Amino acid sequence: MNKTFILARSHFRKNKGTTIGLLCLMLIAVMLLSASLLLIFDAYPLATRESERLDSGSGRVRIYNNLTDIDEEFIDELLSEDCVRYDVQDCLCYSAMPVPFGNGKTTVALVIDDDSAFEKEMGRTEVVTEDTSIADDYIYLPYQFYTSGGYDIGDTYSFDLLDRTYDLTVRGFTTTPYYGCNNVGGFEVIVDDDTYAELYEIDGEEYACLCAVYELKDGVKNSKFEISLNDKVIARNSRAIVSPMSIEFTNEQRTFMSKIIAVSFMVVTLVIFVVVFLMLTNCITNYIKENMKTLGALKAIGYTSSDIRASLLVLFGSCALIGALIGIVLSYVIMPYIASFAIAQMGIPYTVSFNALTSIASMLAIVAFTCIVTAAAVIKVRKIEPIVALREGTESHNFRKNRFALNKTHAGLDFSLAMKTMCFNMKQNVITFFVIGIIMFLCTIALLMYYNFNKKPRLEILTFEITSGVVAVDPDTADELEAYLESRDDLYNVRQIFDVWFTYNGEDSLKVYICDDTSKLKNQDVCYSGRLPEYDNEIAVSGRFAKDYGFEIGDEIPMTYGDDTYTYLITGLIQTTNEAGRQGVLNFAGAEHLIDFEYIPGYYWFDCDDTETTAAIIDDCSEEFGDHIVATMNFNEILEGSMTTFKGLAAMMLVFICIISAALILLVLYLLIKAFIFSKRKDYGIYKAIGYTSNSLILQTALSFMPSIIVSAVVFSVVSYYVANPYMNLIMSFFGIVKSNFVIPVPGLAAIALGVIVISFLFAMFEARKIKDIEAYNMLLAE
Amino acid sequence: MRNIIETRKLCKTFSNGGVQQHVLKNLDLQIKEGDFTVIMGPSGAGKSTLLYALSGMDKPTLGQVIFSGEDITKMNSDKLAVFRRTHCGFVFQQTYLVDSMSVMDNVLSAGLLINKNKAEVTKKAEEILKSVDISEEKWGKFPTQISGGEAQRVGIARALINKPELVFADEPTGALNSKTGKDVLDALTKFNRDGQSIVMVTHDITSARRGNRILYVRDGEIAGELDLGAYVTGDKERHQKLRDFLGGMGW
Repeated sequence: MNKTFILARSHFRKNKGTTIGLLCLMLIAVMLLSASLLLIFDAYPLATRESERLDSGSGRVRIYNNLTDIDEEFIDELLSEDCVRYDVQDCLCYSAMPVPFGNGKTTVALVIDDDSAFEKEMGRTEVVTEDTSIADDYIYLPYQFYTSGGYDIGDTYSFDLLDRTYDLTVRGFTTTPYYGCNNVGGFEVIVDDDTYAELYEIDGEEYACLCAVYELKDGVKNSKFEISLNDKVIARNSRAIVSPMSIEFTNEQRTFMSKIIAVSFMVVTLVIFVVVFLMLTNCITNYIKENMKTLGALKAIGYTSSDIRASLLVLFGSCALIGALIGIVLSYVIMPYIASFAIAQMGIPYTVSFNALTSIASMLAIVAFTCIVTAAAVIKVRKIEPIVALREGTESHNFRKNRFALNKTHAGLDFSLAMKTMCFNMKQNVITFFVIGIIMFLCTIALLMYYNFNKKPRLEILTFEITSGVVAVDPDTADELEAYLESRDDLYNVRQIFDVWFTYNGEDSLKVYICDDTSKLKNQDVCYSGRLPEYDNEIAVSGRFAKDYGFEIGDEIPMTYGDDTYTYLITGLIQTTNEAGRQGVLNFAGAEHLIDFEYIPGYYWFDCDDTETTAAIIDDCSEEFGDHIVATMNFNEILEGSMTTFKGLAAMMLVFICIISAALILLVLYLLIKAFIFSKRKDYGIYKAIGYTSNSLILQTALSFMPSIIVSAVVFSVVSYYVANPYMNLIMSFFGIVKSNFVIPVPGLAAIALGVIVISFLFAMFEARKIKDIEAYNMLLAE
Repeated sequence: MRNIIETRKLCKTFSNGGVQQHVLKNLDLQIKEGDFTVIMGPSGAGKSTLLYALSGMDKPTLGQVIFSGEDITKMNSDKLAVFRRTHCGFVFQQTYLVDSMSVMDNVLSAGLLINKNKAEVTKKAEEILKSVDISEEKWGKFPTQISGGEAQRVGIARALINKPELVFADEPTGALNSKTGKDVLDALTKFNRDGQSIVMVTHDITSARRGNRILYVRDGEIAGELDLGAYVTGDKERHQKLRDFLGGMGW
């Protein structure tokens, strides 16, 4: 066998525990890296792959509300000019319909079709799984109902359609490019022929819808095409509603959560790489220090510095290689679990398959990283002179001060000795300080996500406005409803908000929220720069839109609605994850320049104390105003449904990061304490000889690590508290959120810090128990 | 004088690659209070093994060590540690001071184990350090900043801080030159004169002369014993007597 390998094997035999500990750290790093890369390069593009597979074309348009004069022939005329090909289907569409999902309801456009939906040529709908033995009163739901909606085949799906309730058996789940995810705002369900016929009979006139999927000709811009389509349809029938959506936007909305997961995983991975770097450097430096004599002897008998360096490179390189291989295998083991959260929102079937590229990249990353760190750390081997090494190096003691002098300190003996030990092991303490700091930061982010997405979901971060409930009535009854709501004592902050789509320069569209008074908005944070509009010539637009077209606060922007255009002054920038960042805010006075309010229903938003009160208010309104009611929404109920997947993700991240943190603390303390005990074995022997018990020494050792752990936990709690929001802002900026102001519960943060300290102490005590194996007599024999 | 230690059929066997090596064989001996007992013998005779078995640092394979009336062979390691801190002091060939502690702290780290009164222990440590000629300016220094002889005398101070019943010294001058070795022996002799019982292992005749009782160990057994009487400076006859004894033992 080659002498390098013989030496490497000898190094390993002497340092089994340390090498295996390092291997575990590398394994965790590779496992996370491989999983992150799989998320980014395999799971995240799933939506794009699936839409291509289902022939999604460039986009889809839904025309509904009133189809008078809009027939397939007109649609053909509309689409043939700019599209290479298209496919049009009849269906029913109930916009803004609360449907049961997860633990509550989610409000979406509910597209209902019969089995003919499976025959679409473009934007196909395919069955993922089904039970064909269910023959009557059945429904096919989008696959997202299975991944995060809490439904399975054979379950009864009960939903209210206007004032009717339907109980249908779930026959199967489908995959479809445009209506498969609540984030996209639409669900396509397929019901049996009889149910569909019955629905069409009752609602066909009012809720009939034309759904078209199209592929644009080269050079045709989607946003322009959508505006032109809208104008042409409205010109034909002003009561028709046109709802277009490009496949890019659909997939962007659909992969929102998987992007968060992928980014979060990558950040955790990078952080763990920092820990690996610290530990690797520390372990190799320690190894050289502890094996000075052996290295000197090797040099004395003729091994060159290069031989020794090569053997250490082989040892740690092999360690990285083995760790990488196991880590990659483990990443495929945990991937289905992680991917289940990534695809929960997408609602697309996903099977983890081997990805050679991500596996090789992960392996190369850790091996190259290890080799570089090792090569840099072992440079000092060259400087070791055999004779000096045989004398265990020329120790240059640089004792600045006798800290915690036993005759002066007021602390107890064990504590004083622990503090002395700590002062003489600053390197380990610095490493511990930073590792615990990193862990604290990770845990703070996990806590933040858990608290803001699970415990007390803050939908205002993801949506324009939050409320308890909404009641909308026809324009003639609006004043009456407003007076009724104002007269009630169980609600407050009644405000009018509705939205319309404006166009900009014929190029792009903007969903504009129109408020009677922007100061009444509960979510004032929606405006992250400047202010919300106060006067009739003012508008606030989303930051992303402003950036795309080079607008700044103070600029003027022409907005078009129908045939009218008005130029507004931009007073503020708002943040949004919806509509691909195409949103704006106007007050009523500003909107009146373009919109005739006479035909706009009165949408009244209100706040109250709880979900039950909201339900009672909505019931009372329905009773009071009967057929005048256009729409109602119990926001808290919908929140439950809409946040189901977010909640699951947040809880998963918290559990995952806690496990990773505990594993990191365990491994890092294992490596540090092991090296520490080994280097101090003589001192422990002396202590035992003069009468110290093992328990006392174990306590001293564990205590010596605690100051850096406690200081780090406290310092990084404070640092994380202030840094977490800017960090989250950075991450959320990818999704259009600039100012998130997430709440970090101080008691929770304190509990994490305390938990980290307690766990670290227990681990330290556990690892330090090896001191029991040190016998004073053996120490003397070893000398 | 009473026996501080009494061994009964003390055996120590090492197993090396399946080969049993009997280092101590059914050894019966007594260590008396106030004695300066010196254990001598050829290399590999079992001197150090005997010393560490007597002090509870190592467990015998068979037999008993009755130390102040207690059978220490039955104690677990923690009990032995507590026993050692109150009954024993150790002086090693290598000084075995803790490098990360100052001279004073090395002494106090032993003293504070059984006396929590810091002021009292510190005063005592100062007295002992002075008595072994460690000047005050050295008290704050670290072991690597003082000479080998000084370090060994600090070791003696540490061994004596708790006024142990018995001080075990294993080749205390083995790593020192003759001048510093003499200083160390003087210190031990002085403490013995003050009533401190000492058991010392050595193969150096000059060092052995300091003892009043010489035990010669050979092949794991006490091959001979010599009563030299109390040490007197410049006693040439004593030296000859010891040489004759050792000669008779085949030294």
